[in-house]
Amino acid sequence: MSSFNASRRQFLRTASVVSGSVGAAGAPFALNLASLGSAVAQTAPDYKAIVCLFLYGGNDSSNMILRTDSASFAEYTRMRATGQDPIALLAPGTAVNAGAARASPARLGGVLPIVPKFTVSTENAPNTYAVHPSMPETASLFASGRLAVLANAGPLVVPLTRAEYTANSKPRPQALGSHNDQQSTWQALGPEGVKIGWGGHLGDMVASANGNAVFTSISVSGNAVFSAGQTTFQYQVGNGGAAAIGGITGTLFGSTTASTTLRSIITADNQHLFAKEYSSIVSRSINAQATFQSAFNASTVTAPTQYFQPSTGNNANNGLAQQLQTVARVIGARSALGAKRQIFFVAMGGFDTHDTQNASQADLLARLSHAMAYFDSALANVGGVDLRNNVTLFTASDFGRTITTNGDGTDHGWGGHHFVLGGAVKGGEIYGRFPIFGLNNNQDSANNAYLPVTSVDTIGSTLGRWFGVSDANLDTVFPNLKNFPRDLGFLKPG
Amino acid sequence: MDKFIELRLARERIVDVGRGAFASALIVLVAACGGGGKDATDAGPGPAPGPGAGAGPGGSTPGTVVDAPTKTEASRFLAQATMGPTATEIDRLSTISYATWFDQQFAKPQSLHRIYINQASADAAAVGAQISEVNFFDSWWSQALGAEDQLRQRAAFALSEIFVISFANATLQAQPRGVASYYDMLGEKAFGNFRDLLEGVTYHPMMGIYLSHLKNQKEDPVTGRVPDLNFAREITQLFTIGQYKLNADGSMVMGAGGPTLAYSSADLGGLSQVFTGLSWYAGPELTDRTNARFFGSNANIERDWRPMQDYNQYTPNTSFHSITAKTFWQTTIAAQSAPDTVGDVKIALDTLFNNPNVGPFIGKQLIQRLVSSDPSPAYVARVSAAFDNNGSGVRGDMKAVWKAILLDPEARAVGTSSSAGKLREPVLRLAHMLRAFNADSKSGRFTGIGLTDDPATRLNQTPMFAPTVFNFFRPGYVPSGAGLSQAGLVVPEMQLTHELSVAGYMNYIRTWTSIDTTRDIQQDYSAEIALAATPADLVERMNLLLFSGTMPDALRTQITAAVTSRAIPAPTLPPGTPASGVTPTPTNQAQIDAAKRDRVYLAVFLSMASPDYLIQK
Repeated sequence: MSSFNASRRQFLRTASVVSGSVGAAGAPFALNLASLGSAVAQTAPDYKAIVCLFLYGGNDSSNMILRTDSASFAEYTRMRATGQDPIALLAPGTAVNAGAARASPARLGGVLPIVPKFTVSTENAPNTYAVHPSMPETASLFASGRLAVLANAGPLVVPLTRAEYTANSKPRPQALGSHNDQQSTWQALGPEGVKIGWGGHLGDMVASANGNAVFTSISVSGNAVFSAGQTTFQYQVGNGGAAAIGGITGTLFGSTTASTTLRSIITADNQHLFAKEYSSIVSRSINAQATFQSAFNASTVTAPTQYFQPSTGNNANNGLAQQLQTVARVIGARSALGAKRQIFFVAMGGFDTHDTQNASQADLLARLSHAMAYFDSALANVGGVDLRNNVTLFTASDFGRTITTNGDGTDHGWGGHHFVLGGAVKGGEIYGRFPIFGLNNNQDSANNAYLPVTSVDTIGSTLGRWFGVSDANLDTVFPNLKNFPRDLGFLKPG
Repeated sequence: MDKFIELRLARERIVDVGRGAFASALIVLVAACGGGGKDATDAGPGPAPGPGAGAGPGGSTPGTVVDAPTKTEASRFLAQATMGPTATEIDRLSTISYATWFDQQFAKPQSLHRIYINQASADAAAVGAQISEVNFFDSWWSQALGAEDQLRQRAAFALSEIFVISFANATLQAQPRGVASYYDMLGEKAFGNFRDLLEGVTYHPMMGIYLSHLKNQKEDPVTGRVPDLNFAREITQLFTIGQYKLNADGSMVMGAGGPTLAYSSADLGGLSQVFTGLSWYAGPELTDRTNARFFGSNANIERDWRPMQDYNQYTPNTSFHSITAKTFWQTTIAAQSAPDTVGDVKIALDTLFNNPNVGPFIGKQLIQRLVSSDPSPAYVARVSAAFDNNGSGVRGDMKAVWKAILLDPEARAVGTSSSAGKLREPVLRLAHMLRAFNADSKSGRFTGIGLTDDPATRLNQTPMFAPTVFNFFRPGYVPSGAGLSQAGLVVPEMQLTHELSVAGYMNYIRTWTSIDTTRDIQQDYSAEIALAATPADLVERMNLLLFSGTMPDALRTQITAAVTSRAIPAPTLPPGTPASGVTPTPTNQAQIDAAKRDRVYLAVFLSMASPDYLIQK
């Protein structure tokens, strides 16, 4: 295989970087990766991808996944059914009131039950659960076993009880409640200004498997620190793929030589550090574009349908599903791109629902649910190959939101519930203790927010193990992992 | 006579000679100084003020030279202080002083975007159409390109990237006139006091929608409902104080455990109680303020641009504004028997305004917007000092702040370090180009630019369209490129720069480079076409208008060669005509004209695409 030699060269180069930065730990891992080779590819594609789906703004996950047993739901209703435009969703089975305002809880009807298997986190077993009424596809994916819930997850330094939080006796992440800092902390384990994200850092560990390291970490949603590693940079594409810079070949404004001049000017090294960085991005853009675009153009997947928008009652384009279509097309181009391990970043904004949450969140969650279902179906047939077992998507967000409402919305919290999706996911389960709703009657909340029980480190490490990254390297990527479980068990080995 | 004076005299001798002679004389001068445009600044950054720098906020320092800048210096100044230098304004500024220029700019009347929108709205209504955010973009470009109050234009744009509201918010998308009036407010307060700016921001209904303190209600102990904390948090974190305690030079105050937090969540909780009870402008009479209007119905027709009003004390319903004790920082507002929204807001804004963090926090960001991404601590400290005291004992005088930023020696000297200056913002690059080449609108409405967000085909940025209140880019953004992060540098605008957006920018600016007569906005390249036969002069004009004199020699050589490579056909004289005093055949003339235009396009586009241009030094 022609890409193998390139892969070897890349591996040798990267391996020295990795082992230089993490000491002896890098070497065994690198050998392990090298032995992966391409032999396996004859039977099942040796390919894995992790997709980070970021919900910018801080999702009110208390309205996305709910405990519906009476102990929790009664308190939920009492606390959230208040104000001018109450955000309390209605009990499972509540009929749709077609006369109620669009996207209001009454118009949406009751929350949609999901029935976990309870073979893990059995402490959740006595209770019943549901998802937001605009997420029927999500309920189906849960039932089909390809989607799981990660309960009350978030950034932590060490495990923290309510008493420890109140006494301020243990360290906690910096700048809780601040959007930019908590986005950065979810993505890169530290507040704004941290330069290496754990997605890109995992990319550093696996880039040697790829024939072209450029395509290791790909963002379809702009610069995000999640995707930046030590040596891995984020390669940006749009729904049209990569964009070619015009005028660098052929005739430019009547001159046959000026195109060469243009290319020289925009790619030349520069003594000024900003200009140097700019021209290196331009060079990367030019150098990768042709390879990427021909592979991308040759890869097609079925386009997403429109989604039903609760706030208007109309069907509308789903930008998130379109981003995921782009991801699926890149995955379909994996052989041509020489890619065996890839990290993707997609995102949607608008989750900062301080007000008009009913309409806003109903639309957002409908879009999320529709997009996840689309992605699942698209991966089932990527150029005739079912790649669902090879791709794992997880959701992340700045933070969960407050337990109380301000009348028509919620404020910044901390812990939140999330999804993992894919054929490798041991789905139909809730991982981690799911908190009872309420301010003061449980060990999981303080200061009007949930104290996370599952750390971002554990989620990342579980994904990283599945990806083939050694435990030693995972300790490098997640310095606080020693304080937490290193595998939450939501992914099938292999 | 020291070197500085010598150079100044040399320059004054050149100014009055013809354009071609000026250009070649300048080239000689630059060559003699060993670098593009760095002649005036050999002293480097430091206490020695550049020309005009004596006209600081406290007035002229005795003994400093206060006189006209050179053309190159004028161009650099205008690149920082306006939406882009023009040949006319460069010429004008080079005959007056910076101090005079500031005085003139401060006195220029403001044009209101709201009035433009009203007209657009009336015109649309006449044909059964509706306005949208695109009408605001048109208005924005009409002022950016055509308005005379250019300092206000640049100042308002900078403020709009700190006090962010955005059409990306679906509710604001339906309020183009409201957003226009918010932008007008920023432009108006830009030359006032920061405290008034804060008041304008707080009470504007578009901010009330964007950060949701419009209709915000007090806590309810029975249900546990709490006030919306959104505005309280962001006015603190983004508009005044920032996350960490700062020294006057912008560095963080370090405690035993690292940086010291500037506020706690309890402070924000107390502050959130203050911002309750405000809602839509109801009308001039107290009795206008009904419950219905508080909740948004029975709208007053001017409510999208009039400041929000407090409702509580004027209606029987006193349920909106919190009357319990409110504590933030060391300030406590005691529990009240009757709500006093305006009084509480005043205390809160005064408290925020007087926090010592405001000068360095806001001052540094404004430096970043106009001059440099990584200003020296001393530069930040000088701007902080001007914020704290304008020289007459007034805190928050924004005129003093703009002067301190733009007249600082570090701003006036061409930076020689490998991290001097900033990456030009995509929107400002287009404005710069269109202004430099005297763009005008055929319809007078500056239509056709519109939404420029698509990174693959446009600018990855549109005015008043930031994705969130955290702006298009963060002041602390660190690109992942190894050289920059290892050097500890921030480059905010680089957050918009990636493989896709660099291609989108170059392709978009290339389409703008050439004349397209179907467009409403048209450049006037006549001055450049007049230089097309002499490529060195043409490229020197790019150096003045686009690079403010900083074009490196190697780049000049490359662009000049590329321009020259587009041959201009020799005139073909009609048969039998004498060799002089005749014009070429029409076909031949068209070919000559096309070639001259191509030369101008090559000079403009190769300049605009070059990383040396993209970094404003």
